[in-house]
Amino acid sequence: MSVAQFVFFCGFALVAVAIVAFSVVVVRSARRDDGGPFVSRSLVARLARPGRDRAELQRWAFYLHRVSGLGLFAFLCLHVGDVSLYVISREIYDEVHQVYGSVPMRFAEVGLLFGLLFHTANGLRLVAVDLVDLGLTGSTRALYGVLGVSVVGTLAGAVFILGPVIV
Amino acid sequence: MTVADIKGDANSARRRRAAYVALRLSGVLLAVLVLGHFVATHVTTDVADTDSRFIDQRWATALWLVWDGVMLAATLGHAVLGLWAVIADYTAGRRRRIWRVVLLCGAGAVLVGGMTLLWLAATAS
Repeated sequence: MSVAQFVFFCGFALVAVAIVAFSVVVVRSARRDDGGPFVSRSLVARLARPGRDRAELQRWAFYLHRVSGLGLFAFLCLHVGDVSLYVISREIYDEVHQVYGSVPMRFAEVGLLFGLLFHTANGLRLVAVDLVDLGLTGSTRALYGVLGVSVVGTLAGAVFILGPVIV
Repeated sequence: MTVADIKGDANSARRRRAAYVALRLSGVLLAVLVLGHFVATHVTTDVADTDSRFIDQRWATALWLVWDGVMLAATLGHAVLGLWAVIADYTAGRRRRIWRVVLLCGAGAVLVGGMTLLWLAATAS
């Protein structure tokens, strides 16, 4: 591992630390201020019941939206930094860029794709809720669609991202 | 309540509404730009092949330079608007002001750095 690759790795570690630290802030504040059930057996039982009780899922979608948003912003800062190497030295850029093709980084890219897809689909859901007034049940159903799109899209993307190194 | 207070409230309500609409409009725009960027760098081209020669070809056309510039500006605007509200939820008083300054300085640095990068890449060839 060269010096430039090590610096990139440190930057990536900082992004991961920012995501974890922010998740802790969000979850602690959720427990303290927002009330409602925490992740527990009774919450799972409640979500299993059809109808309005499942609207509770929307609160967790709100937290995931925040955490994914901060994660994407943190990664963007790192990404603009590593692409900037292109105008400084093409050799250093290519050296750092090799990390993107490595197996562990490809798994991180699948995670990045999930964050992107969830944040995009859930954001479009929020716009739809404003524009057409979906209501509680409708917006919860739309959330199932969001989760479906995110999971299926991530699996489909994973075939392209992981395919070249696994097969 | 004086006339000035009412006027201030109306102005602040208008500003908040503008920020709310801008957050959503930039989000819809980014849904296309960012997912398109991801497809271009991970699906249609394998990520290992997106080396400096790939950037040479990509930034030789105005379409991708404009695409990346608009994407960068829209992302940072979206991030500032979103995190502005997030900071308001989790901090208060002096710490809120400090985090907002950190956010603006960070986003501003990325914007200036990224736009300089695009400018240098566009004029170098």
